[in-house]
Amino acid sequence: MSKRDVAHVLRRLSIGVHPRLVATLDSADAAVARALDLSAPAPAPLDFPAPTDFASAREIRRIVEPVTWWLEQMRSNPRLIEERLVWFWHDHFATSLQKVRVPYLMYQQQLTIRKHATGSFAELLHAIAKDPAMLLFLDGVTNSARKRNENFGREVMELFTVGRGRYTQDDVVAASRAFTGWVVDIPGRPGLERAAAFGIPPWQSGLVPRRHDAGVKTLLGRTGAFDLDGALDVLLDHPATAPRIAAKLYTELVGSAPDERTAARLGTTLRDHDWQVMPVVETIVHDPAFTSPAARGARVRTPVEKLVGLMQAFPESLPPGTAAAAGRALRTIGYVPFVPPNVGGYPKGTRLLGPHQLVHAFDLLSVFPTAPNVPRRVDDLFAALGLYGVSDRTHAVVSAERDPGRRLALAVASPEYSVG
Amino acid sequence: MGKGVSAGPVSRRRFLAGIGAVASVAVAGRALDVWAPARATAAAAPKLGPGAPGRTLVVVELGGGNDGLNTVVPYADPLYARLRPTLAVADPVDLDGAIGLDPRLGKLAARYRAGQVAIVEGIGYPDPDLSHFASMAVWWSADPEQRGSTGWLGRYLDGTVGFGDPLAGVVIGTGPSPALLGERSFSTTIADGGGLQPRPPAWIDRPGDLVAAWSRFAPARVSTRTLTGQVERAIRLTDDARARLDRDLAGAATPPAPAADGRATAEAVVSDLTLAARLVASPDPPRVVYVSTFGDFDTHQGEAQRHPALVAQLDAAVDAFFTTLESSGAADRAVLMTTSEFGRRPAENGSGTDHGTAAAHFVVGSSVKGGRYGEPPSLSALDPNGNPTMTVDLRSYFAAVLEGWLGVDPEPVVGRGFAPIPLFR
Repeated sequence: MSKRDVAHVLRRLSIGVHPRLVATLDSADAAVARALDLSAPAPAPLDFPAPTDFASAREIRRIVEPVTWWLEQMRSNPRLIEERLVWFWHDHFATSLQKVRVPYLMYQQQLTIRKHATGSFAELLHAIAKDPAMLLFLDGVTNSARKRNENFGREVMELFTVGRGRYTQDDVVAASRAFTGWVVDIPGRPGLERAAAFGIPPWQSGLVPRRHDAGVKTLLGRTGAFDLDGALDVLLDHPATAPRIAAKLYTELVGSAPDERTAARLGTTLRDHDWQVMPVVETIVHDPAFTSPAARGARVRTPVEKLVGLMQAFPESLPPGTAAAAGRALRTIGYVPFVPPNVGGYPKGTRLLGPHQLVHAFDLLSVFPTAPNVPRRVDDLFAALGLYGVSDRTHAVVSAERDPGRRLALAVASPEYSVG
Repeated sequence: MGKGVSAGPVSRRRFLAGIGAVASVAVAGRALDVWAPARATAAAAPKLGPGAPGRTLVVVELGGGNDGLNTVVPYADPLYARLRPTLAVADPVDLDGAIGLDPRLGKLAARYRAGQVAIVEGIGYPDPDLSHFASMAVWWSADPEQRGSTGWLGRYLDGTVGFGDPLAGVVIGTGPSPALLGERSFSTTIADGGGLQPRPPAWIDRPGDLVAAWSRFAPARVSTRTLTGQVERAIRLTDDARARLDRDLAGAATPPAPAADGRATAEAVVSDLTLAARLVASPDPPRVVYVSTFGDFDTHQGEAQRHPALVAQLDAAVDAFFTTLESSGAADRAVLMTTSEFGRRPAENGSGTDHGTAAAHFVVGSSVKGGRYGEPPSLSALDPNGNPTMTVDLRSYFAAVLEGWLGVDPEPVVGRGFAPIPLFR
């Protein structure tokens, strides 16, 4: 039974299950301690230099390199909670290559998220608001004093901070005014080359003062000549923001939403620790709900989690550059890193249980060009996938197959592997 | 989209198809509060009654923003020729002395004359956004305020069939459509006549019966009290859907491979609309078939060559759809409608047109009361961006098919105050 608890903890606090780690850990507490251990060095970055011209910048196929690199971090980064939180923040600040169109900028955003993933939410929010990919994705670059674009101003409140129903259209206007003037220097792109004239380096963002509306704004009841940072501080100060972010984190890790009291308490923890995320994570994992039997299997696993679980089970069968075949499978399911379907993030819960999503779970096996070395004993196969205590039915369906590849395929598409 | 991120010389379709790792679904319900407790959202699903079983709505999405002015051509308006010095359609098929169709829409024009085509002009939404993404989100959700996360057809399925029928909503394309995203219903995506088949790697033995073996995970009686039970139910529904597709699509022609640059070909769209017709003619037809094959209408450049080819594909595909239906004796079972995130700017930009706003759309079928509806937007009173002002809210357009064809009260789906256009006999 304890291996089942260990696997549960690792599934929630990392991506995948890390079956080799499960073998070395004896209790849920040990698994929590291991998952939250950030003493190992952060992974080495990808060699992915800035493009030298506009045309090569838009070679969107090159996203395969950051996707491959990211999947590899998910598979093997010893800083387990870091990978869970990197994905969580990518989903929270969902930004898509489909609109940004420059793989380099998507990768740069990934580095920004990594830098702050286990640190301060406030710092992450400020960094994301100035992030070139986000400025392109939510039209910050077209938001100027003369011609306002409210896309980011609305989403930053609705999705990233205070939440729906806690602001008015006047607040959207005020926030958008505060965010005016930020541009991205994209070398060679008509209309934006002038960013360089304001001293903004290639592929970076900066403020063009004469595009900025420096006037006085009233935002969420506060009045001042807010600029971008000032407005974000107002959003952070709103009493709804900290409980909302903490509750979303709780939902990610526990698999169900917290009650209001718990959310408020976690929000206070976040504020009391100067927006540091890890104290909130620590509080959540020590909540009895986190390891309660009801929490086990209460979350629909995402296609990326299933894929990474496979990669961890049979790492010796992975070819160099895994993302091309796996990427096709993820694309079919509509769940590709760097390509969230919308600014609200990736589908979750039962939305991942549609017929074509379920059927195409088999496609994930394409990550292996040849059959992996599947253990002969069915229980060992389940253990390699981090599955303990599967139902008799599941055991029987998998055991009924003679071919090891088919056994693996069915185990990966089993009800037990679909939840976590 | 903002000026900084226009799709530029690479077409959207090419972009989507060209990359190995990119999903083809784009922006949907932007306002999704993703962590709201499930109970709160489940309560919001409308109850619409049974709807109209046996009737199918086929939606053909003209992705990228179709140039409505060069599709339904206001050739009698002198401003049209002035705004389109090089791109004006020279020889439109006249419909009524005021408007005509691009001559490559000849078969559609014939159906118009037979009284089976409604042309609805000036469809858009208030305060239009020129971003593909923002505009698609509005068309998919039917909610310019983006207050929820569901699609308009997803809400229709939520309120009628729910989880009861996994083939009630079928997308033909490479990924799910946000328009069919519901809170308590599934839609199924099929890429081609192969139906609901996985693409496992070659090293898997006997891939053909993998799904059949997999269906044994679902017990005869599933309990959906646990999440695992819900997965088991989904497995059962998926197996049902697959079996029905195997039966209904048996012998369906293998679809042609896409062109090397990933663009939809005439063969591909004809094949997809033929597939749609086969689904409509099947014993348990879907309520909604959503065809998202077309994605190349973003004609910023080269429009003089590209747009005629695109509407020719549309003409061939719509004709293939109805011809297939008619040969199956099922012509009265379906109505086809077009959508597109926006029209294009009346003024040319050089060799093409930029993102616009309101445009004309078609509703086709034997139950349709043919003719012109709505109001062509004025070409002399353009908005500050040089775009037409909408005359028909897309919610009235959707309300028309919800009430007149799908047999439900449109208000819970599109909101209050959007009078359905009386498009049906």
